[in-house]
Amino acid sequence: MTGATEIHPNISGTPNTSGTYIGSFWCERNIPELKIERHIEDNRMIALGGKMIPCYTVQRNLASIQRGVRWTSSCRPAPLLTASPVRALIDDKISIRGHFLPPRCPVTVCAQMQSDDGDLWEAFAHFNTNLDGTVNLTRDPSVGGSYLGREPMGLLWGLQPAPGAREGLRLRKKKVETPYVMLMSLLKGHVSPSERPSTELAAVTSERWYMAPGVRRIEIRQNGVVGTLFLPPGSGPFPAMLDLWGMGGGLVEYRSALFASRGYASFSLAYIGHKDLPGPQHQINVGDPYFKSAFQLLQDHPQVYRDRVGIIGLSFGVYLTLRLANHSDIKPSCLICINGPAGSNIKLADADGRTEQMENDQQYWTYDDQGNVSFRAVSLPANLSPESKVKLEHLTCPLMYIVGEDDLSSSSIENANLIEETLSAAVKSQLFTRLSYPGAGHLIEPPYTPNSRASLWSVKPQKLVTLWGGHLALHAAAQEDSWKKILEFMETNLRH
Amino acid sequence: MDMKQHCVKLSVQPSRGLVDEKFTVLVQNLLPGFQLTIHALHQCEDGHSWEAFAHYTADATGIVNVSRDPSLGGTYSGVEPMGLLWSLRPVPGSKTGLRWRKMNVQTPMGVTILVYQGHQTEGFVDQVLLASVVVERWYMAPGVRRVPITEGRLTATLFLPSGPGPFPGLLDLWGGGGKLVEYRAALLASHGIASMALDYLTPQITKETGRMVDNDYFETAYRVLKQYPQILGSRIAMLGLSFGAGVTLRMAVYSKGLKLSCAVCINGSHVQPIDGPLEQMMTYFNKNAYKTRVDENNQVIWRDLMLPIPTDPSLKVDMGRLQCPLLLVVGEDDQNWPTYESAMDMKEMMERAGNSHLLTVLSYKNTGHLIEPPFTPFARASTFKMVTNPRTKVMALWGGELVAHSRAQEDAWRKTLVFLRENLYGGMKHGASFSNL
Repeated sequence: MTGATEIHPNISGTPNTSGTYIGSFWCERNIPELKIERHIEDNRMIALGGKMIPCYTVQRNLASIQRGVRWTSSCRPAPLLTASPVRALIDDKISIRGHFLPPRCPVTVCAQMQSDDGDLWEAFAHFNTNLDGTVNLTRDPSVGGSYLGREPMGLLWGLQPAPGAREGLRLRKKKVETPYVMLMSLLKGHVSPSERPSTELAAVTSERWYMAPGVRRIEIRQNGVVGTLFLPPGSGPFPAMLDLWGMGGGLVEYRSALFASRGYASFSLAYIGHKDLPGPQHQINVGDPYFKSAFQLLQDHPQVYRDRVGIIGLSFGVYLTLRLANHSDIKPSCLICINGPAGSNIKLADADGRTEQMENDQQYWTYDDQGNVSFRAVSLPANLSPESKVKLEHLTCPLMYIVGEDDLSSSSIENANLIEETLSAAVKSQLFTRLSYPGAGHLIEPPYTPNSRASLWSVKPQKLVTLWGGHLALHAAAQEDSWKKILEFMETNLRH
Repeated sequence: MDMKQHCVKLSVQPSRGLVDEKFTVLVQNLLPGFQLTIHALHQCEDGHSWEAFAHYTADATGIVNVSRDPSLGGTYSGVEPMGLLWSLRPVPGSKTGLRWRKMNVQTPMGVTILVYQGHQTEGFVDQVLLASVVVERWYMAPGVRRVPITEGRLTATLFLPSGPGPFPGLLDLWGGGGKLVEYRAALLASHGIASMALDYLTPQITKETGRMVDNDYFETAYRVLKQYPQILGSRIAMLGLSFGAGVTLRMAVYSKGLKLSCAVCINGSHVQPIDGPLEQMMTYFNKNAYKTRVDENNQVIWRDLMLPIPTDPSLKVDMGRLQCPLLLVVGEDDQNWPTYESAMDMKEMMERAGNSHLLTVLSYKNTGHLIEPPFTPFARASTFKMVTNPRTKVMALWGGELVAHSRAQEDAWRKTLVFLRENLYGGMKHGASFSNL
């Protein structure tokens, strides 16, 4: 995937002042050479109307292009915008195209989507139509907007909260049984969606699903374990994954739903911040027995292959993954760790369910000049309690560690190094695979969804925005590549 | 050779598609040379079960790709990417005379695709199931709006594409079975054409008055469509199948109130008494009912009712007066209407009158009467109740042979969309390939 550093204008320019009639459309072909300037301030953020959004602009003389173009007419049907497939899974690529447009003219393709919380997210990209009056996002580069360059899925990972939205948002699907409904429009000229008036030429609605048809969602409240199980269609048995997220808590289902859509049973597990878990929600009140129960519950499920169960963890979920795999009676087939620590200052509840007060990790928090907090130093190996560091020498299954090199929430590079060194010393390097992505942040999630460089972490005792890191296009590339490699890793270790 | 279930990977892409969209069925991680059966299972709205199956052998890399590999037997053979859908047939033990139709277009057709070890022909339920997925096939794209229309005492449903428009419009007519049949209009709207499915044989007004509608009913439909916001009044087409094709020709040529951009007639005829009301068409059929034949399976053949093609000009639409482009879709094995003979006669009339440049004929061998959107099950015959004689249920012979008919549906639909686009968006020079749309 091209990073957002190259610009390939789709216009070649020998000035030609004659116009041409094509049907009832007339476009003056006098398109001057493009003068391209990239406005980048503050890590690719630009203030637009008071709102910080990533934006690239291409400066040019638009007047001669726009003059003389008839886009719509009372005796011609409108141009057409198509998306294929129009109902897709989240990790499917979509081909977006515009047709029946005047040739070599500026258009904007705009995407809008409402999150489950009702926030509006939008993205837009500027194109110049081809000689045949088409625009094709798989073929054509964006020359301005939410992303630059040729990025077939840029309108999706480039989604940002619309102007006027609440602060500190992060896009996460709560209800995985319904799709995201995306409205895509084709607008006249190079505009931004909030500019009024802008002429809408065509629109298409598409759906993006986490759950494939036939996937079953089963709420699990059994043996004290709180989670949601997703089963692929069919009778099974299926290879399976235990799916763990971070200290943000709750029950995060969407990655599991997508695994099930790709043929794996997957169990999302809650361990903090869920009403069905014991004790106060701000702390972890479960311990090793809880995680072992969860793994065994999954193994014992009649539609799961007990010898083909892996574990995936993001953030604090990495520590839980490594800790769980370290038990002699827990034998996962593979482990996938994304941006998380190999140890922790946070103690899990002990065997009797007693929870010790959390060590004050706040001493390691750092703040930027906007008061946003980075948790990164908390998981520096030097700052982790030595007895908590998982004894990886006992590892018996393949481990894939995924690093976002711009991770501002976790010391991922350092922990990856620690794990690699430990395994190397134990002559177990062959079990270790590292994927490392420059410019990617903490939240490496399934592809074609936007990254939030920072988002609201807490409102009490005071409003806190935490930094995740990640530069838009590079993070998107990391999500796409890592997802593919995650599925391949699962296939190798769970299917064969 | 045994295969472990955990290995086998079955995927169908896209898992949610439009009815006329192709999919790719891929089975991976097999042992080279492994024999398997792919089985498709579907339960229709009436609760009947339909199935299709095909035998494949994995290649040297352990893959079966239905779009690329030949089926070695089953309900279809050879390389047939969509065979699992168009060869669906009622499971053994089903009622006879079934015809597959989706009347509720707001829900998808759900098909389960299953992979079994070995080359099986029956008793699938007892076999080792290696993998299965569920596939949805939709008539309505997201964002397409379904609008019931009762204005002007019409019984109709309008389907509007998503977006601001304006959209070209289309009147969609079915045949002698009556009812409000929506699926083709829904699919056309999913391709950007605002389409109105029109019930003209069993509409509310006929139920109330006992009288068949006449030309003014269609003129009203045209007017309602033309004036509807977001519809481009200057670009309206008409599409009719069977009896509806005859109505389309009649309106296209004689109606002062209708100005069509183009017309599509599928398996119909221009033969009809042109003086007098629409009801006369029914009278004409009944008069010739004695020509009904029955084949060795007791299936009713109605194609002779309008043969021979009359020479009397009052008994056929004067095709020389047609002023808009016309696409005729002909199933050469149509046992229900004399489609081929009618098409040839229409062609001759237009050649004599000098307007044959308006005519395009698509003629398909071994193809029957029910030429519908592609990749849906085929029926060579099915139980049928003619509206004029609703107490009599017969087994109507439609004609056609499975493979040829299914290919014809795919080809005709694609070309129909191209024809409609060219005439409804017409005059624009662009290299856009319609088949990609």
